[in-house]
Amino acid sequence: MANRNGLKGFFLFLIPIISLVAIWEAVYLMDIIKVLPSPAQASNRLVSLAMTQRDGIPLLLRHVGTSFYRICLGFSLAMLLGVPLGLLMGLNRYVNFLLKPLFSLVLPLPTLAWVPILLIVFGMGDITIVIAIFLGGFFSITYNTATGVRGIDRDLIRAANTMGASRLTMFTRILLPGSMVSVIAGLRLAVGYSWRALVGAEMLAAAGEGVGSFIFMARQFSAVDDMFAGLVIIMLAGFVMERFLIEPLEKRTVRRWGMTRD
Amino acid sequence: MGNDERLTSSISSKLETRNVRKEFGSGSQRVLAIEDISFRVGENEFCVIVGPSGCGKSTLLYLAAGFEKPTSGEILLDGKRIEGPGPDRGFVFQEFALYPWKTVLDNVAFGLEIQGVERKEARKRAERHIDVIGLKGFENSYPHTLSGGMKQRVGIARALAYEPEILLMDEPFGSLDAQTKKLMQRELLRVWEHHKKTVLYVTHSVVEATYLADRVVVLTARPSKVKGIVDIDIPRPRSYTDEDYLHVREEILGLLDEEVNKAFDKEKPALSAMD
Repeated sequence: MANRNGLKGFFLFLIPIISLVAIWEAVYLMDIIKVLPSPAQASNRLVSLAMTQRDGIPLLLRHVGTSFYRICLGFSLAMLLGVPLGLLMGLNRYVNFLLKPLFSLVLPLPTLAWVPILLIVFGMGDITIVIAIFLGGFFSITYNTATGVRGIDRDLIRAANTMGASRLTMFTRILLPGSMVSVIAGLRLAVGYSWRALVGAEMLAAAGEGVGSFIFMARQFSAVDDMFAGLVIIMLAGFVMERFLIEPLEKRTVRRWGMTRD
Repeated sequence: MGNDERLTSSISSKLETRNVRKEFGSGSQRVLAIEDISFRVGENEFCVIVGPSGCGKSTLLYLAAGFEKPTSGEILLDGKRIEGPGPDRGFVFQEFALYPWKTVLDNVAFGLEIQGVERKEARKRAERHIDVIGLKGFENSYPHTLSGGMKQRVGIARALAYEPEILLMDEPFGSLDAQTKKLMQRELLRVWEHHKKTVLYVTHSVVEATYLADRVVVLTARPSKVKGIVDIDIPRPRSYTDEDYLHVREEILGLLDEEVNKAFDKEKPALSAMD
């Protein structure tokens, strides 16, 4: 990962973004895709969404806030259940033996395939969406954590055994930090998966609020600039989670411990 | 030879291996690593095990640590049979096995904390051990910032900190460069004299064994037995050029050479079958 400190780092970080906008603008000017709005139109739409209020809350904040709230619930749930289960799978041969085939079967299922079933059981609304997000993140977190535990140098476990470590100590103070590189890899994937799940589930199960349903509703009015504004929001949201959740966690743990290169 | 050893008095023996045998795998995959090993290590004694590579000396150390169980026979520490790993033993690993997420201080204090020593007291005691091992000033460093020699200093301090009865060392300086290795051997003896601990030390280097040991146990090629036991009473610090030192070294080398040749001869049919 590039060094993001200092002016140089800032420009290095901007280059791909500016390039993307430039390509977008070029494609717009060439008029290859009839419906494509210009970057300016899309960002104007974002600004107007931020300015337009309903019940005293800007529309943009409504959609983004609702989606983030659902993401937080689903993602936290996936993390809180996935990490311990992954540790257990990595630690205990029998748990792994029982669960691994299940995981291999379920892992390739697109999260969206679950949504119609969830709709029947839980109906439209937050629960269905949150569970979809949970399913989107849970498997990659669990799977990666288990892989991480199995990758821990056996001597690290032996050393703790020699010192007389209890199972709990082994769990929290050896296995968890020892598998952190993989745990973080799993979380990073899960951020992506959970936004995908969210957008899909909101299109099918949300009553009017959330970024996914905002994009979907725009279809009724052929409001292409709305759709692109929505895409930009999702990209930014993923970026915000990477920058303010995953990277700080990485910096404070595995990078500080020298377990991964910069 | 090893079996006579058993008949001598057992009053001062700290660690004792009795007819230890170890097989790995089963059926046609079965490998006999250790055939029959019996010897004793006295209290505060520095005992070094040497043998041709692949002879099962590390396996023997793993059995003493309780990481593996012998197929038959037993290992006794203070007269009690070893059934599994435990804090009455300290283990020093060839590849250090430090916790990358713990600072030097926390690595050394970890064993004490597990033993239930209060955190502040554990850190205080760990600091003393870090001081003795010569790492003062590095308490808050993370292992990845240390050199190999410094890492193994932490490894030794960590194994000593919770005051085990015996120190088990598995080629602890095997991955260090020659200069650092010599320095660390000297340092180890200094620390050993400071703490007066029983040490069981595995190496393939006769030079190292002769420099460090009170007693050297030479193992045969696999499946291993005790080839011979050499007691060394040359005062420390020993000189690599001293006549007594060279004499003992030749004696051990003589024992070992036969076994190395034997191990080589065993490989030969396989080699000639290939051309």
